[in-house]
Amino acid sequence: MRTKLFTAGFAFVLVSACGSSSSSQAKNQPANVMNAAVAVAAAKPLSKPQALTVMHDRHEGMEDVGKQNKILRRELTAASPDLAAVRGATATIARHASEATHWFPAGTGPDVGKTGAKPEIWQKPQDFGVKLHNFQVAARALDVAARAGDLNAIKARYADIGGTCKACHDSYRTDMHH
Amino acid sequence: MPKQRVWDLPVRLTHWLLAALIVFSWWSVRNHHTDWHIWSGIAILTLLLFRLMWGFVGSSTARWTSFVRGPRATLDYLRGRWVGIGHTPLAALSVIAMFAVLAAQVGLGLFNEDDDGLYAGPLANFLSPDTTEKIHDLHELNFKLLLGLITLHVAAILYYRIVRGKQLTKPMITGRTTDPAAGEMRPGKWWVALICLGVALAISRWVVAGAPLP
Repeated sequence: MRTKLFTAGFAFVLVSACGSSSSSQAKNQPANVMNAAVAVAAAKPLSKPQALTVMHDRHEGMEDVGKQNKILRRELTAASPDLAAVRGATATIARHASEATHWFPAGTGPDVGKTGAKPEIWQKPQDFGVKLHNFQVAARALDVAARAGDLNAIKARYADIGGTCKACHDSYRTDMHH
Repeated sequence: MPKQRVWDLPVRLTHWLLAALIVFSWWSVRNHHTDWHIWSGIAILTLLLFRLMWGFVGSSTARWTSFVRGPRATLDYLRGRWVGIGHTPLAALSVIAMFAVLAAQVGLGLFNEDDDGLYAGPLANFLSPDTTEKIHDLHELNFKLLLGLITLHVAAILYYRIVRGKQLTKPMITGRTTDPAAGEMRPGKWWVALICLGVALAISRWVVAGAPLP
């Protein structure tokens, strides 16, 4: 069942990805496209253990993205950045970003367990979907830049991805203490 | 009743700027303006450095040596046997505690990072991400301590106002008291205050630059 939900979630992001070569286009997507995908997820609710597993994976994944971001800042502000360390961090962030497609099925909000995810995620699925998608695009771009190896480009993509983290967290995450 | 001077302008400015910046720091970090929060912390650092120095070369009531007393003076004060101007020996304990906890809060902030790794204090790069995560928790914990001391401070002022009928807020604004206290404030020199401010700004700038060694 989890696989099915993930498929639904994946389709949901794919739909948003297809229509959004730019974020402004994505914002103009009809709301029912997104809502349909979420409704599918809601139609077959997760069992509590399944939901808690998703929430755990989400928490660990997000925490690791933060940690990789800290490693990146140390390298990118250093006099001579270690490109291997930079690539390790950007690859890990890109991997988590693609995993994030499956991190927010309906029924994994604060009513189910301890989480920083706000209920608004499932109340405004279209806006949330766009913001998540922007993060995923930025994560891939950062990883591509890291593999190419141009430091100025890496720094620019690093600034971009930070903006996508903040854009989503400001609206959809509570001040959680772990 | 003749009014006499008790707090000089640098002491009063430092006091009210600190109060405002503490509120602003709390508000800004709560409202996702972490960059403003960091600059506010740097401003507090500058004020603390200034006040530390002014406590050695400032007016008589600003000086550490004039109000930091031993336990005997504190007991004398509690028995009503203390006369003087400025901080009482009991208030001195509160001043030292608030200064220390606020300094610790700023010190922790310099090494702090947010969970997302988007914002960092100017000295965070000296430590590993695992260590700054612990600093993050301590920064939050120490704020509760600071909040407790501020609550005590305000409660004491209310106590003196309501129970003892003594105005403490107005002298901190006007710098003058109607209290028939023994002794009077010897003012500091304005150019010494400017030098202290210059040194405090220079140190803060150096910290913001990541404390580079020559």
